[in-house]
Amino acid sequence: MNVAIFEEKEFLGGQLIKQTHKFFGSKDESAGIRGIYIAKNLINEIEKTENIDLYLNSMVMGYYEDGVITALVNNKMEKFIPKKVIIATGAFEKSIPFENDDLPGVFGAGAVQTLMNVYGILPGKDVLMIGSGNIGLIVSYQLAQARANVKGIVEISDHIGGYLVHASKVRRLGIPIYTQHTIVKALGKNKVEGAIIENIQTHEKKEISCDVICLATGLMPLSDILNQINCEMKYIPELGGFVPIRDENLKTTVENVFVAGDVAGIEEATAAMLEGELTGLYAAYEITGKFDKRINTIKERLKDLRKTSSKVVNGLKKLNLYEDFIVEPHESLGDLHKTGIPEEEKIENLLSSKKERFAILECFQKIPCNPCVSSCPTNAIKMDGLNEIPKLDYDKCIGCGNCVAVCPGLAIFVIDKKKESVILPYEFYPLPEKGEFVEILDREGNLLERNQVLSIRKMKDKTNLIEVKVSKENLKHSRHIRVVR
Amino acid sequence: MDDEKIIVCRCEDITLKEIRDLIKEGFTTVEEIKRVSRAGMGPCQGKTCGPIIAREISRITGKPIEEVYKPHNRPPFGGIFFKEIVGETDEK
Repeated sequence: MNVAIFEEKEFLGGQLIKQTHKFFGSKDESAGIRGIYIAKNLINEIEKTENIDLYLNSMVMGYYEDGVITALVNNKMEKFIPKKVIIATGAFEKSIPFENDDLPGVFGAGAVQTLMNVYGILPGKDVLMIGSGNIGLIVSYQLAQARANVKGIVEISDHIGGYLVHASKVRRLGIPIYTQHTIVKALGKNKVEGAIIENIQTHEKKEISCDVICLATGLMPLSDILNQINCEMKYIPELGGFVPIRDENLKTTVENVFVAGDVAGIEEATAAMLEGELTGLYAAYEITGKFDKRINTIKERLKDLRKTSSKVVNGLKKLNLYEDFIVEPHESLGDLHKTGIPEEEKIENLLSSKKERFAILECFQKIPCNPCVSSCPTNAIKMDGLNEIPKLDYDKCIGCGNCVAVCPGLAIFVIDKKKESVILPYEFYPLPEKGEFVEILDREGNLLERNQVLSIRKMKDKTNLIEVKVSKENLKHSRHIRVVR
Repeated sequence: MDDEKIIVCRCEDITLKEIRDLIKEGFTTVEEIKRVSRAGMGPCQGKTCGPIIAREISRITGKPIEEVYKPHNRPPFGGIFFKEIVGETDEK
C-alpha cells in the first residue's frame, strides 16, 4: 500500500516538536519520553519507510466530489486521487476578548512555544499566562526554564484545569495561580506593558506588569476540510467545539474519510497518537482485510487511557461512542485543585514510615501514568491499574531515587532522615556544583534555607537528580532549589 | 470593559462593540454578521472570531451555539496564484 503525507510546514511533527516535557501514559506507549524525542522517533520511522511519500511545504487546497484532492506542492497545484483519506489537521487556539487585545505582546501559547522551543527565541521577559490547563501550566514551566519571569497564571474557573502535578511543578518555582480570575485589559501604548486581571466573584482588580500576555485558553478542532466536504459535525463543548460525527474506528459520515487526533476532538497527545494508529490500520483494513486483531488491541489501550478523562468520555458519549463506559467520579483533593499544593494531611501520610531513607510519591490525582513502577529495582512501587495512584512498599524501598528521575510529573522525592538530605528532580540550568550552597525552596517557591549540594546525578534525559543537605524541620517541605551565583 | 477597545476579528479589525450593535440590529448568526461586516473574511477565515461571535450571539439571544454558528469552508484553504488555478497540471 502506498501512503502520501501532506504537511503545510517544511517539517513533520506537528505540536510534538515543541513539547520538551515528558509524557504521561503507559510505559507501553511513550510515557516518560519527552515529546521532542517521540517526534524524532516517529519521523525516523516515516523516513525509513519506502512506501511513504512525503509532501512537505504542501498545503491541501480542497477535496472534491470526484475524489480528487488538490494540493499546492512546491507552489504548483497538483491533483491526487486516494482510496482513503485520513484527516489529522490538529487544532486551532481559541482566543478570549479583552480590552486592547490587539497590542503587540499578546501571544497564543502555541506561538510562544514555537518561538521558544523551535526557534530559540524568548518572546519577552515578564509573562502573564492566561489559562491553567495543561498547555498553560507546561508553557509556564518551559518559560521559567528559559529564564522568563512568569508573573502568574490566571484561571477563570475555581480550580486548576490541567494535571495537578504540572501545577505543583510551577508552584514550587514561585509562580502564583489566580483561580476565579480573568484578564480584562492589556495595558500599554504601543506594546504590552501590563495587564489588569479581575476576580470574577468580588470584581476586585489587580494590576500585573508584564511584556507578554500568553493565551492558553483552549483549543478547537481545525476542521476546514471536513466542513468543506460536508462531513456531519456536532457541537460538543467537551471536545472543543464542532467535531466530526464518526464511528469507533474514526470513520466519518463521508465515504472513505477518517479522522485522528485533535481534529476529532481535543484530547491529550498520547490519545492522538493511538487514534492515528487506529485510524491508519482501519483504513488499511478496509482495503486489505488485515490488522483486525491489532485494531482491537489499540481500542482497548485507548479505553484504558481514557478511564479517568470524564470530560472526553462525556463528549464521546454525545457521539454515541463509549456508551457503556463509566468514568469513576474524581476524588476531591481539597485545596490541591485550587492551589497546586497538596494538603498537609496527605503529605503527613507519606511520611509515616519509620525508615531512614525512602521515596515520597506526591502523586494524588488519578491520571494515566506508570513509569515509576518499572523504574524501581526492588519492585517497591505497585499500581492496580494505569490510572491508579502508585503505592510504595516502604520496607522494600531503598531510596535509590530512580523513580525520582523517571516521574513525568516530577512528583517524587527521596528524603533521608539520618543524613538530613532530600533528593529532588532538577531540570534547570546552570546545574549546581557538588558542595555549592544553594537556596532551598518549599512547594510555593518560598526560601526555606541555604544549604549544601551533596551530589548531582546527571541523567541522559535531562531530569537531573540533586541531593541537598536540609535541616531536619525542612525535610518534608524542601521541593526545589535555586542556584544563586 | 470598554467594548470599543476589544478587537474580535483581528484580520478585519472589527470590535466587540460593532458585533454587539449588529446583533442588536437583528443579525443573529455568524454567517449574517460575516456578510455585513467582513468579520471572518480575512486570512484566518474566522477561526479566531467565529467562536467568539457565536458565543456573543448565543449570550444575547439565548439561542444555542449550534443554531447560530455553522462553519463552512470552500476551497482553496490557503493563498494561491491564479495561474495555478487557470493553468493545466498533470493528473497523478
